[in-house]
Amino acid sequence: MLNFRTKTIVILSLLFSMFVIFACTAEETSSNSGSGSNTLATIIDRGELVCGVNDNLTGFGVVNSAGQFEGFDIDFCKAVAAAILGDAGKVEYVPLTASARFEALAANEIDILIRNTTWTASRDRDLGNDFTAPTFYDGQGMMVKASSGYDSIEAMEGATVCVLQGTTTELNLDDRFTGMDYTPLTFETNDPLQAAYEEGRCDGWTTDKSGLASKRAGFSTPSDHVVLAETLSKEPLGPLTRDNDSELYDVVQWVVFGMMQAEESGITSSNVTSMASNPSDPGMARLLGVGFDGGEPSDFGFGIDVNFMQNVISQVGNYGEVYERHLVPLGLTREGSLNAQWTDGGLIYAPPFR
Amino acid sequence: MISSLFKQLKSETTTRKKIEVLKNDKSFRKFFIQFIFSIFMLFFLFYLISRAFSLELGFGHLSSRAGFGLSHSFIIEYTSNDSRWGAYFTGVINTIRVSLVGIFLATFLGVIMGLARLSKNFLISKISAGYVEFLRNTPLLVQIIFWQLVLLQLPQISNALTFGGVSVWSNRGILLPIISSVENGSLWVLILLISLIVTLFIRSYLHKYKEENVKIFSPNLLSIIFFLITVIVSYFILGIDLRSDVPTLEINEYGTYIQSGGFVLTPEFSAILFALVLYTGTFITEIVRGSIQSLPVGQTEAAQALGLSTYQRITLVILPQALRSIIPPLTNQYLNLTKNSSLSVAIAYPDVFMVSRTIMNNAGHALPMLFLILSTYLSLSLLISLIMNLLNRRVTRIGT
Repeated sequence: MLNFRTKTIVILSLLFSMFVIFACTAEETSSNSGSGSNTLATIIDRGELVCGVNDNLTGFGVVNSAGQFEGFDIDFCKAVAAAILGDAGKVEYVPLTASARFEALAANEIDILIRNTTWTASRDRDLGNDFTAPTFYDGQGMMVKASSGYDSIEAMEGATVCVLQGTTTELNLDDRFTGMDYTPLTFETNDPLQAAYEEGRCDGWTTDKSGLASKRAGFSTPSDHVVLAETLSKEPLGPLTRDNDSELYDVVQWVVFGMMQAEESGITSSNVTSMASNPSDPGMARLLGVGFDGGEPSDFGFGIDVNFMQNVISQVGNYGEVYERHLVPLGLTREGSLNAQWTDGGLIYAPPFR
Repeated sequence: MISSLFKQLKSETTTRKKIEVLKNDKSFRKFFIQFIFSIFMLFFLFYLISRAFSLELGFGHLSSRAGFGLSHSFIIEYTSNDSRWGAYFTGVINTIRVSLVGIFLATFLGVIMGLARLSKNFLISKISAGYVEFLRNTPLLVQIIFWQLVLLQLPQISNALTFGGVSVWSNRGILLPIISSVENGSLWVLILLISLIVTLFIRSYLHKYKEENVKIFSPNLLSIIFFLITVIVSYFILGIDLRSDVPTLEINEYGTYIQSGGFVLTPEFSAILFALVLYTGTFITEIVRGSIQSLPVGQTEAAQALGLSTYQRITLVILPQALRSIIPPLTNQYLNLTKNSSLSVAIAYPDVFMVSRTIMNNAGHALPMLFLILSTYLSLSLLISLIMNLLNRRVTRIGT
């Protein structure tokens, strides 16, 4: 039997240890939690960027046959790592499903999320994210069989539409069919959806037009399928960080802009070294973080190397090179699309580096 | 013991010797290890709780407009304009629907196959054995996707089979003709079910009354009269207008095929139902077979010696005794069937899990949603356990 004194000692020591543990944990949480934290400093300390990505979307984020991540979104992870750490290889990729991505960011499992994510008001405010400049302007489309004779969404009254579950696509579809009768058939993954579409279980297949283009190209006779001209929604895809994480947010934002500006100024991965040693104008010198004509380089105060854009462009390339590498092979041409440079009538436009 | 340890500690003067005493004391060692272990557990627990509190908890987001459509809704008519709660309950009802129908059909199939497995007829017993061995040893998810692909091989809707205009069969669903009422139909069916249960209670009470008292009336006839009266009275009060509901297939002005009316079995519901019934049926078959085989052979021999027919032998002697050892493992299978219905997320049947995942993706707040899903499945499982325990108590009662 324990006597009274021993019992008291045991209970007191237990209480004390609980108190200590709670204090430690509380301290740890406050240093980790969203408000006022500085993920940029954490990344520099850690020496590695943790990037949430897609591992199953050809062209944007996919694991290739050599086991390496590659794609349009992956290259932006590399670019941010190159800017902060000077090495595009210092990235840890965390593949995430569409439904797990925001929780992973909120729970500090990843530093940034670049996973073909559409910028919406509720995601920006309600889910506590900050979206940087879009890297790709997509739009939702509808693919139907050529034999069905549909020429517009209006004609699809009463139709059954196959759609992927838990995406903005599902919500846009419902908005577009307001006042019309339709049945959504919601699949979790693409393979059973494709089988249902091919067997005629549904009249149409809706997802982002970029996705439809690559799926249509994969059919045995692509001409049997038509992507309707109408765009159901705006889908600007881009990187995102946590709310109130402005040091990292600004770096990601301006890396994206820098890659766009580099394309506009004609700086590519092959000529960036010669351009940096002999910049042709003061604007180019500011972008590359070098002095013009023997002057001092301008520092914008990002808290990283002033010549970070040199690392980005030499290791990853400018916006046009990244697009050419991953999206042109899918059949997504830039000419005439929203993803052309602003000088060509598109939306790819960087604010001035000044 | 502890106090003697303290005395020993006091008597030692140097710290090193004190540690030596503690190291050699068995009960202190045990206490020390458990103490360290509980500190680690507490640390882990507090870590989890503090992480959970850094996420947002609460169900406020479920009151907003859902904004997405669902392909299957039952009893409650759901539209995308309803709240997310509406979508969630539609999912709950879809889960209950497939589980309930699945439990009835799987029990039926399992009992038949279990008896068939014990048949002396070579063909019948081998068919049953083949069914069990083949379907029990393949993954359920694969079977679900298999059934979906099989049902997609039905003719496309442009070539649908109509069987002379009474039914429509295509890979968009099997539409069967039914008798239905324009309004109050489901309410009437509910009233009929309740009155049927009440009738069964009245019948057993009357039987007991008859045994104890007089032998001047027929309990069966009286119960039937009671049931018919409730049927007729409710028919007129609710203004039921019964008519045959034959499914139709039309083409609208844009060339879309529109099917309407009748009782609809969609490929998604059928695929998940077939897979769950056939898979769970194999386990029920084995439970029925094992329970019957565990009875002493003397029971069968005695029934045969009394001159009972095969049907009488099974229903009056064998099954009532086998039921005692059937019900506990059967409850497990019912629970498994209900929980396995969450696999329907793979083939576009909107059960509670699929709807919740859609809501999580639209509105975030994954943690409270997961708690909600878990408590929904827990309530369903506990309800099944409760009913089965009541049933078990009834069949294990000896001598009444």
